[in-house]
Amino acid sequence: MQHQRSYDAVRLHAAAWTTVMEEAASQLERDHVHSVYDKIAPYFNDNRYKAWPKVRQFLLELPPGSIVADIGCGNGKYLHINKEVFKLGCDVCRPLVDFAWSQGHEVQMCDGLNLPYRDGCFDAVLSIAVIHHLSTKERRIRAIKEMARTLRVGGHIMIYVWAMEQKRRKFEKQDIFVPWNPNPHLPSSSHKEHAKLRRRATAQSVTEAIDNPEKHRKVRSTSSVADEEDLTHTVPQQKTQRLWFFSRSLDSVFDFGSLAISWPSSRDLSTLSSPTGEKDENKANQRGRGRGLIKQVSNFFSPQSVIGSEEDVFDARGNVTNNNNGAENQGVSVSLAQECGSVPLPDLISLQREHLNEPEDENTKRPQGEEQQESTQGSSQGSEGQVEGSCLRYYHVFREGELAELIENHVEELHVKHTYFDHANWCVVAEKVQLWRI
Amino acid sequence: MKLLTHNMLTSHVKGVTKGYPLLIKATEVKLNEVEFNPQFVSRMIPKLEWAALVQAAEELGHRQDLPGELVTDYEKNEDFLKKVHTVLLEVEVIEGCLQCPESGREFPISRGIPNMLLNEDEV
Repeated sequence: MQHQRSYDAVRLHAAAWTTVMEEAASQLERDHVHSVYDKIAPYFNDNRYKAWPKVRQFLLELPPGSIVADIGCGNGKYLHINKEVFKLGCDVCRPLVDFAWSQGHEVQMCDGLNLPYRDGCFDAVLSIAVIHHLSTKERRIRAIKEMARTLRVGGHIMIYVWAMEQKRRKFEKQDIFVPWNPNPHLPSSSHKEHAKLRRRATAQSVTEAIDNPEKHRKVRSTSSVADEEDLTHTVPQQKTQRLWFFSRSLDSVFDFGSLAISWPSSRDLSTLSSPTGEKDENKANQRGRGRGLIKQVSNFFSPQSVIGSEEDVFDARGNVTNNNNGAENQGVSVSLAQECGSVPLPDLISLQREHLNEPEDENTKRPQGEEQQESTQGSSQGSEGQVEGSCLRYYHVFREGELAELIENHVEELHVKHTYFDHANWCVVAEKVQLWRI
Repeated sequence: MKLLTHNMLTSHVKGVTKGYPLLIKATEVKLNEVEFNPQFVSRMIPKLEWAALVQAAEELGHRQDLPGELVTDYEKNEDFLKKVHTVLLEVEVIEGCLQCPESGREFPISRGIPNMLLNEDEV
């Protein structure tokens, strides 16, 4: 009898905890993916966001009359490729989807974890730089399974995700927050144009972006977005201000010993998974307590919580940044890596001064003097030149083989056909197979 | 939203088993001109749920006297293909909603874009 009770208790806790985790994951993605893209959408609507060549090739090789879905299509940059196939796209970001529609594409609003398409209706599916925004392994698997569901047997899916291993360096951690910077260094050395870009960038509104596509064609590349597509190309050319905040993976929450969070009592947990026959007032209490727990867990992963940690950040060329700032004691390990140059983030200025002269070397074309000048210009421009702390995008960067393993071990309806490294991404092409059940 | 897209869309509210096809309640419909590619249309037809397409076209008043059941040998029938082309690609719902046939849940269409995002309690 005692056994049964403790077994039940464990199951109850596990179920309740799953709920909390799911909520925390949703919240994290709402704050650091969805709302960020909503804010930065206007800056994406630029003519020079070209398709990755291998993705383009994948689309061009589809038989005429195919139906292709771009899940997480963003501004729709892949939706114009190959007139012989029918393409549709979807995304959670309304401004981006609006823009795609303004370009004449068929697009919908939806969530990758719940696709509104019937089974097996697509001949091909794209997932380009999307699932690395999902904050748990379980959600990433669910997203892949959802896409596989909509794929017909024999159809192919192409998935691109950010790689942990970049050409010149490796991210130290897999779960990171990347700031959005609309005003990075430009390849041209013209300060005037740089300043103009800033003014234009901050003045843009979403409607402007949609109504005036011409204007955007004149806007130069923003290296942060180019980063998303082409990290390795921008890095050698420019001293980009790039900061990554590292965070614990949500999945690691189960590693109880390392956390300084106050764990919910059994009673708290049991109220989360109460049966549905409860009275309304009880339900309200439960919800309140549930929300409290969720908030606690979410805060745990917020990048604002702690700056600095004992951990090394990059292992590239011995340029290791060791931050030991006497951080707050939430027990979160959030490390700051600064590459070079300086973008004054309000709460990180002391750290930055330390690293102002970090050697970024042979590949930098511009003389040191100019760099300094641009940095100063950046910091003197006030809010215009600053990276917004609120625009931090969450990424889970993938190790080599991780994406293929994920599919092989958890998505039996997909069979991995190719894996490769493309610029800064790990890529997989997989085929939907018929599963036979006895 | 074109009817070719609509043919793929289904209600995915939790617990719903018969969420397809979605009923269309349109308040604004446009008719565009899209280049006719008979081969494209011909290849598209086998991928469609034909009854759902006819029902949707009917709801919008653009049935184009399409048959209730798919005729055989349509590949060379250019008249037929032209009608299908219009229904699939030229008729566009700009404003309105899509209704789940089982739960009645309405998914809004605004500025040509269906919003299929679910609420927390529908997931």
